[in-house]
Amino acid sequence: MDWWIWLVVVVAVLVVLAASALAVQARRRSGGVIAVKRRGRSGRGLK
Amino acid sequence: MSGERAGAAGQPGRERPEAGGRGEGSGAAGRAPGASALMLATGIAKRPVVTLGGEAVAQVRDIVFDSGGGHIVGFTLSGRRRLSGPMKRSLPWEGVYALGHDAVMIENEDALEDPGEVVERTEAKGGDVLESRVLTDGGKDVGKIVDVVVQAGTTADVVGYEIEPGDARGRHPRTAFLPRAETISVSGQALVIPALATEFMADDLPGFEAQVRAFRDRMRKGAD
Repeated sequence: MDWWIWLVVVVAVLVVLAASALAVQARRRSGGVIAVKRRGRSGRGLK
Repeated sequence: MSGERAGAAGQPGRERPEAGGRGEGSGAAGRAPGASALMLATGIAKRPVVTLGGEAVAQVRDIVFDSGGGHIVGFTLSGRRRLSGPMKRSLPWEGVYALGHDAVMIENEDALEDPGEVVERTEAKGGDVLESRVLTDGGKDVGKIVDVVVQAGTTADVVGYEIEPGDARGRHPRTAFLPRAETISVSGQALVIPALATEFMADDLPGFEAQVRAFRDRMRKGAD
């Protein structure tokens, strides 16, 4: 196989890995709204 | 930042802005002290956490609330950089100086605590209410939660849920706002509400505040 085909393959693999890493990181950063059970009054900030 | 109110903790004589902000449809600028604003929880997520010194130290990841009373317990955080993941610090509500339209203000980085102060890892795993189904105590499926409505004043409380009705169809199904009941069962899978709450649904956020008040009055009368 020609050398440039390997170059294309390597670049494509790197792009896929980078995109996967970004997607995983975006999912880790994306938040939610979590319900927890707390005893007593909580959330009394801004005193 | 919205509104003004006196009495910054540990800062004698300094004016402290009121929590809250110009939540969706609730112009907060110039609000009287004690007033509050409705905002959507997904709008709070990703807001930067900024010290009074002007340094952005984190951004909001999860909003954590007490399922019993609806009070906001605090926030989990992620780093500010694009590639940074969840932070090993969290922000308890006690450390919030102001919850503004564009940022969550803290006095300094000392306001950040260990993650366990806000939510334990095991609680966080199954506790996300977004995408949970909503069932009445009569067993009727009302829809699924797409957002949570927060009322921010001197405290911040979850007052209701934005739901996508179960019979919604199409690419842009209409959503409705449902008041949060005082006694509620909530988990990562399903939220159980009194059937009465469905009588106080609102189509939009501006009209929702009145529905929340009416629902609470009705619940109070029912309890008497």
